[in-house]
Amino acid sequence: MENILTFRDVTHIYHTVRGELVAAQELSFSVSRGEFVAIIGPSGCGKTTLLSLAAGLLKPSAGSVESSGSFGYMLQKDELFPWRTIEKNIFLPLEVKRKNTQEARRRALALAEKYGLADFLKSYPKQLSGGMRQRAALIRTLATDPDILLLDEPFSALDYQTRLNVCEDVAAIIRSEQKTALLITHDISEAISLADRVLVLSARPARVAHSHTLDFGDVPPLKRREQPAFSAWFERLWGELNA
Amino acid sequence: MKHVNYSQEHARFLRRRKQNLALVWALRIGVLALLLGLWELVTATGWVDPFIMSSPSRIATTLAGLAADGSLFYHIGVTLWETLAGFAIAVVLGFAVALALWWSDTLRRVLEPYIVVLNALPKIALGPLIIIWFGTGSEAIVFMTVLVGVIIAIMHVLSAFIATEESKILLMRSMGANKWQILCKLVIPSSYPAVISMLKVNVGMAWIGSIMGEYIVSRAGLGYLIVYGGQVFKLDLVMSATFVLCLLAAGMYALVVLLEKILVKNTDN
Ligand SMILES: Nc1ncnc2c1ncn2[C@@H]1O[C@H](COP(=O)(O)OP(=O)(O)OP(=O)(O)O)[C@@H](O)[C@H]1O
Ligand SMILES: [Mg+2]
Repeated sequence: MENILTFRDVTHIYHTVRGELVAAQELSFSVSRGEFVAIIGPSGCGKTTLLSLAAGLLKPSAGSVESSGSFGYMLQKDELFPWRTIEKNIFLPLEVKRKNTQEARRRALALAEKYGLADFLKSYPKQLSGGMRQRAALIRTLATDPDILLLDEPFSALDYQTRLNVCEDVAAIIRSEQKTALLITHDISEAISLADRVLVLSARPARVAHSHTLDFGDVPPLKRREQPAFSAWFERLWGELNA
Repeated sequence: MKHVNYSQEHARFLRRRKQNLALVWALRIGVLALLLGLWELVTATGWVDPFIMSSPSRIATTLAGLAADGSLFYHIGVTLWETLAGFAIAVVLGFAVALALWWSDTLRRVLEPYIVVLNALPKIALGPLIIIWFGTGSEAIVFMTVLVGVIIAIMHVLSAFIATEESKILLMRSMGANKWQILCKLVIPSSYPAVISMLKVNVGMAWIGSIMGEYIVSRAGLGYLIVYGGQVFKLDLVMSATFVLCLLAAGMYALVVLLEKILVKNTDN
């Protein structure tokens, strides 16, 4: 399969008045088109930095990041703008990219309707539940039809039950829209239940310590959690993360 | 609400709320009436010399007299114009400077100490300079009003601009937004509440500026009436002008509150 995103020996150093901090060192991996890759790593190891590098928001100090495709970024909190309706929030990336055409708006609205937001389009974010808001954030991310989704712990602000449900929904949406996804998470079981491949990062500076291809195929997240292989993977990743 | 289909308990709750609101208003008006009544009583019976204390009836007579010869509206007009002009200039200038300081980090760091010093400086100290530069007309008073308001306007708006959530800026940047788009679509709308609170503060500042200005230099306006009344010991005039001032300030504040209702209906970050 063709690689849509490649990190080659990427090093990133943050400079502050207090000193410098190596957030990533000689980090190499690639993601192929249509793949769902989850990245787990200890807290503060450089995961968010890695996504910013992928999206081109940061320039690597050394090495190269190559990508062939457009990005959609989804953050931990939904970051919906409270003064905009859900509909207007979903149109935001279209406005920013100056692609706010009738056609693009119709496409975005169709997505919103398809994934259960039809009744909320004219509502303001504060009128929606946390799960619904995160779903709206995903639709906003998909509005410009990006090739690669960068997801930075998108479920971690939700309560457990909502999280399982939203996770299920998001997995279904991403698969049916045939997107490539790079998901960062603290949650090992979330990684196993969603991904085709899991990368385990070392403590800072981040390097890829392990890479595992999971063999669940198209089994949806909740079903995966019921399979015997799930707990085997969990133990293995847990061990590697705490090594 | 579309469906008026409350439980009895909710109906009782609403009724009690309404009664409570009515009570609060009745008490407010009652307090005012009581104070005015007492004031009138102690001066009318001669316990207190109305020459020093004035009295509601004497204020009413004075106002009626001033209104009859038209000078009341002339003085109101002068002060109102100075206050509004000073307010408008201070607000627009403050907003513009805050924008510039948000845009350029370097500029902000260069100007920060100057702003801090100007903020701490009691503006009335500049009185003599203002008279020399601007004479004793309305320009001087408008300038004083701007001076009193503009620094606070800058600091209010700038701190709101700077407080824009970093994660929302990151989101905008991930969409490929440039600085101008981030400003227009995120930073300014998310600062509406702060802009409104700046307007509220500046209503007060504008009145301080214009009345202070009139104390120092003017030949007309409500501040002038107050100073003049004090000098010739016409307490009725002082009290009357102060009373009108209260009404005007309250009116202007109410306008800002109205603007707030229109502008920030759905913003609560
Ligand atoms: N703008 C910055 N300037 C300086 N240091 C930074 C900056 N951003 C992040 N860092 C530091 O770089 C390291 C990696 O940060 P990063 O946010 O990428 O980690 P993370 O794995 O996403 O953390 P978390 O698990 O908390 O989300 C941290 O030690 C952090 O303090
Ligand atoms: Mg992070």
